[in-house]
Amino acid sequence: MDKNQIMRKYFYINVVLIASSYCARSALAASDKSSDTGGLPQLDISTWPTQLFWLIITFSVGYFLVSTFVIPSISTVIERRSNKLSSDLNNAKKAQEDAKNAFSSYQSSLEDARSQAANTLAKATEEAKLDTAKREAAISKKLAANSKKAEEKISKIREETLSSLNELATDISQKIITDLTPIKVQKSVVKKYVSAQSRFQN
Amino acid sequence: MHSPVEQFTIKVLYSLSLFGYDISFTNSSLFMVLAVLISAGFLLFAMRPASIIPGKIQCLAEMLYEFVANILDSNVGKEGKPYFPFIFTLFLFILFTNLLGLIPYSYTVTSQIVVTFAMAFTIFVGVTLIGLFKHGLHFFSFFVPEGAPKILLPLIILIEVISYLIRPISLSVRLFANMLAGHTMLKVFAGLAVMMTGAGGLLFISSPLPLLVIVALTGLELLVAMLQAYVFTILTCMYLNDALHLH
Repeated sequence: MDKNQIMRKYFYINVVLIASSYCARSALAASDKSSDTGGLPQLDISTWPTQLFWLIITFSVGYFLVSTFVIPSISTVIERRSNKLSSDLNNAKKAQEDAKNAFSSYQSSLEDARSQAANTLAKATEEAKLDTAKREAAISKKLAANSKKAEEKISKIREETLSSLNELATDISQKIITDLTPIKVQKSVVKKYVSAQSRFQN
Repeated sequence: MHSPVEQFTIKVLYSLSLFGYDISFTNSSLFMVLAVLISAGFLLFAMRPASIIPGKIQCLAEMLYEFVANILDSNVGKEGKPYFPFIFTLFLFILFTNLLGLIPYSYTVTSQIVVTFAMAFTIFVGVTLIGLFKHGLHFFSFFVPEGAPKILLPLIILIEVISYLIRPISLSVRLFANMLAGHTMLKVFAGLAVMMTGAGGLLFISSPLPLLVIVALTGLELLVAMLQAYVFTILTCMYLNDALHLH
């Protein structure tokens, strides 16, 4: 383990430090005649009760101060911070969700509108087609009627014209015959010939 | 010329006695009181703004808090939470007595074996009692490693018990010896510097050299003061974890 390695290293450092300090101390003590210490002050048992007494007193006071004042003052701040952070995060998440919802509803309404528009367009196209067909039919019917009528009229006029032409031809023929020849010819006979001629020509 | 260990002498500042015991207010007591007052006072002062966005000093206080809280959490877990005030007090007490001891003419409380041993022994007894109360007689299975060969069991149990019983000694001697050695070293080099100035000649000219060593050593001792507070705390947490979870 890492910690163990550190500890072991420190143990060796300690050994070296203590050993070297003791060497130095004895070297100094040799030249130091005024020194009045008889060994380590730490091993002077007479000072232990006071140290233990004050250790207990001060540590207890420290425990009291730390547990009643220091820890609450720090932990409340940390707690407040984490609360604030989590509530802010929640708010942000909520806002994000709202935006997402709004976007999706906008998209769905857009889709609706599009399909509705397509529907309307299709319907209108259908209607227009139907209407056009109807009108076309009506117009073509009317046109057919008109052209029939016109044809009838034309043929009538033609017949009339033809018959009047026959009359004219008969009259002219009779006149020519009576004028140019001594033959007196009956009008009905001439008419018969003219009509035969014209029918043939037709 | 004084001995380099004279700095550890207990000097009575105000004589007191209780039931025949000498409980005089000494230089050691003074620095215990100062350590407690300064640590608690510093943290309370630092947390005074109590703002969600911390300033520099508040950040430092919160870092100390979270540092110890993380040690406890990573070593013991959730069950260690009730012991956090004690662990935090312990860390602050050792850290501040170590650091205050580095100030010249001050006193290093933790350089006294009786102080460190009292703390380590209290922790040892407390942790053992916690283990006994939590697990009853099952607590003693702690000394029997799982999967060990049956023949070796007596030897292993003996070793385990000894290593368990030696914990308060190793814990206290580690801190005490570090403080003792470091401060003695500083005094030795200081004494050397003084002696060299008195010797004259070439020694007088080269007397700043030990002073440079003292500067370097002071830096090292600052590190040791903090590291030993950390080590003491983390080991206490490990022992607590052993008592609560048995391996």
